[in-house]
Amino acid sequence: MKYLSFLLFLLFINSSLASVETDAAAPDFELINSYGDNISLSNFEGSTVVLEWTNHDCPFVAKHYKTGNMQSTQKIAKDQGVIWLTIISSAPNTQGYVVPKKANDLTLDRNAEPSHVLFDPEGGVGKMYGAKTTPHMYIIDQKGSLRYQGAIDDAGGRGFMTRNLLEADNHVKNALNEIFQGKDVTTRVSKPYGCSVKYKS
Amino acid sequence: MNIFNIRFSLTLLLVSLISLPSLSDSYFDAGESKISIISESKKISSNDKILIGIEFDLMPGWHTYWKNPGDSGQEASIEWTLPKGFVASEILWPGPERIPVEPLMTYGYENKVVLLTEIKSPKEFPEEVNLAAKISWLTCKEICIPQEGKVDINLTRGQKLESRDAFRLRNVLETVPKKYPYEYRASLLNEKIFLNLKKNNDVKISQAYFFPYDYGLIDYSAEQKLENNQNSFGLEIEPSPIELKTNNLKGVLELGLEGRSKFYELSTELEQIAESKPIKVTLITAIIFAFLGGIILNAMPCVFPILSIKILSFIEQSQGSKEKLILHGLVFSAGVLSTFLLMAALLISLRVSGEAIGWGYQLQSPLVVSLLIYLFVIVGIVFMGNLVLGSSLTRLGVFGKNQRSLLSSFLTGTLAVIVASPCTAPFMGPALGVALLQPGMQSIAIFLSLGLGFSFPYLLLSFSPGLLSKLPKPGEWMLTLKQLMAFPMWASALWLAWVLSSQVSTISVFLVLLGSLLIALALWLVEKSQASKVTLKRLSLMSSLVLIVTAIWLLPYTNDDNETALKDGQNAFSAQKLSLLRSEQKIVFINFTADWCITCKVNEAIALNQKEVKNILQQKGITYLKADWTRKDEEIASILERYGRTGVPLYLLFPSVGDPIILPEILTEELLLDFLNKIN
Repeated sequence: MKYLSFLLFLLFINSSLASVETDAAAPDFELINSYGDNISLSNFEGSTVVLEWTNHDCPFVAKHYKTGNMQSTQKIAKDQGVIWLTIISSAPNTQGYVVPKKANDLTLDRNAEPSHVLFDPEGGVGKMYGAKTTPHMYIIDQKGSLRYQGAIDDAGGRGFMTRNLLEADNHVKNALNEIFQGKDVTTRVSKPYGCSVKYKS
Repeated sequence: MNIFNIRFSLTLLLVSLISLPSLSDSYFDAGESKISIISESKKISSNDKILIGIEFDLMPGWHTYWKNPGDSGQEASIEWTLPKGFVASEILWPGPERIPVEPLMTYGYENKVVLLTEIKSPKEFPEEVNLAAKISWLTCKEICIPQEGKVDINLTRGQKLESRDAFRLRNVLETVPKKYPYEYRASLLNEKIFLNLKKNNDVKISQAYFFPYDYGLIDYSAEQKLENNQNSFGLEIEPSPIELKTNNLKGVLELGLEGRSKFYELSTELEQIAESKPIKVTLITAIIFAFLGGIILNAMPCVFPILSIKILSFIEQSQGSKEKLILHGLVFSAGVLSTFLLMAALLISLRVSGEAIGWGYQLQSPLVVSLLIYLFVIVGIVFMGNLVLGSSLTRLGVFGKNQRSLLSSFLTGTLAVIVASPCTAPFMGPALGVALLQPGMQSIAIFLSLGLGFSFPYLLLSFSPGLLSKLPKPGEWMLTLKQLMAFPMWASALWLAWVLSSQVSTISVFLVLLGSLLIALALWLVEKSQASKVTLKRLSLMSSLVLIVTAIWLLPYTNDDNETALKDGQNAFSAQKLSLLRSEQKIVFINFTADWCITCKVNEAIALNQKEVKNILQQKGITYLKADWTRKDEEIASILERYGRTGVPLYLLFPSVGDPIILPEILTEELLLDFLNKIN
């Protein structure tokens, strides 16, 4: 199974955007984290996992961190024992691409609480999941099914830059709550908003 | 984009976020983009409307977004501060451009764009009024910068007087989508969105693209396929890969008309055309079907002669030892099974590599068809002549009489499968459907079962010589029968020549027939020289080699025909046509066929082409569509797959509403009439 996913992964490198349907099995992947370790999704079997696509220079991401909205979502997830994987699919020389040290500094400076920051400079994992924007969020449950994909909240669209994010309806917090109560996720898909992921061209 | 610019705009952003500078100018420079306000008139009277534009002037390479930005980005917003009683409309968005950011697709504007607002004046208002707009927008190149600015304009009360910007504003208004003036409908069929629109007869549409208003309807980055018809046209759109329930299709259609783009607004319900779930055949059923299909395959016209010859050799062998008979039976089966496995492996690997192929696909290649013609000609000649051929040909295995080696039995098995390959027997369709749609061990099991079914009659014969003894004793009649069997072989060659004639030009068919003649001559030379002197023998062997090489050189290596030739005709199937007919609630009968499919041709002759059938089709207003799979066709392959098939024939009868009925693969006139009578 693992090899198969890996083959699929290879197929998707440099190919166009794929996508994963909500409630389908989340495809496995392996990336290097900001401490140089290999991290794969299958390491966390039995845990709920959040994937966050990021680019710290994107104004949308910047606002979510500046207002503490992303961190508070991370905190709630952490308290529930959720694994939080922040993924950077920016290619070298594009906005949001960082060296490991810079990634760790950003985590520290912003009081962020990801379990790992992962680098996807080839864009294979981003394209496999169909990550389009930063931020773009995915939630995978303990059984490995994708339960939510889309925006972090409903604040996208006109007037985002002046909106108070802490008052927005946070899709990720809601979905995590529902998953932990054993309920169906009400909002399973939403329109992701933000900057485009800066894929290798 | 340099650092200074980023800093500059970020600073501007911060400044503007803290306290908006009240620029009483109608011009604002945000670095990568500038905005200004323009009006069709500097005067406005009571209860009047006036067109105001916010003009964006973007630096080269930068863009801003449409009301649906696509995969990423954000649309602009305008917040008006107006005198008492004045009302502003929503933004009137001009038709957008597609701005790809590989692998994503965004919708927006480059260089320049004017966003229009219509402002209504009340009955009473002061002599001079100020209209102020706070605009926030996103400007992107590789990176995105949120920008914000304020512009305003002063108007005086009085009769409207066109300003120098009026003409430009009206030109912009022209590009704001209007309602589409003709009928149209949208339907979801076969996991594709089909837009069918009527149009004026003489209008030629060179390009079309649908921009949706909402997320979750279409896949923004996928190509949209345009099909031009006489007085309508269609657009095939890839739906959003992530399911988001929407029953409405709303958005803007861009049409390329004589080099100019026109924009129309569309809003309609998306009809979900009922489709049946792909047929589920369980593995066990598939294996049983494959076995039965294999047995029946023996009786198919192209295989039958080969196998009757095989039976003849059995009859002869029945005179010998029992063990030897069983051994030959087993070796023959091994030949059959290994050839089936080889074909299975080939089919599966081709499918895995993405080829839309199924059983019989090989006949879509003119080269394969031509080689089969040669093969059938050779086998026919071998049957006909009482020939004692050189060892090379005997290895083809058709000579049970003279060569009783095990290799001969094995190769007879191989040959039988090769000549069987153009045929599909009843039961085989669904079984092979399962086999090819689920590559892996399952499909190997199904192919093995097919092979076992195919060789079953011979295994039975070789294990129970009692059965053989019921057959006539060997004698002169066997030679007569063998010669007679040459004719079905040549008939098969003729049929293949006809198949070939629909794939390549007449001259190519002629060359293949010429090649067949050369091969016949070569065989004759070889045969004649058997009894000759050594030098003569060498000479004739050499010349027959030259003849055979020439015959191979004559083969058609490419499809040289005009590809559209087959698609002609009113009845030619297309998924789009089907969707249109379904949305009109027509009863539709589809015949999935191919020239190389004998079952299909027989069904057409004895059932489909009968007068009664044509009458009832006409009476009941049933639309007949022919899906011709003689050549590769992805669209047809995908529909076959939907109904669990990888090959033809397939007959689908769609009632006016609801799931289609799948008709049996072997049709009789009576059966077909029965189905057609009952449908409504």
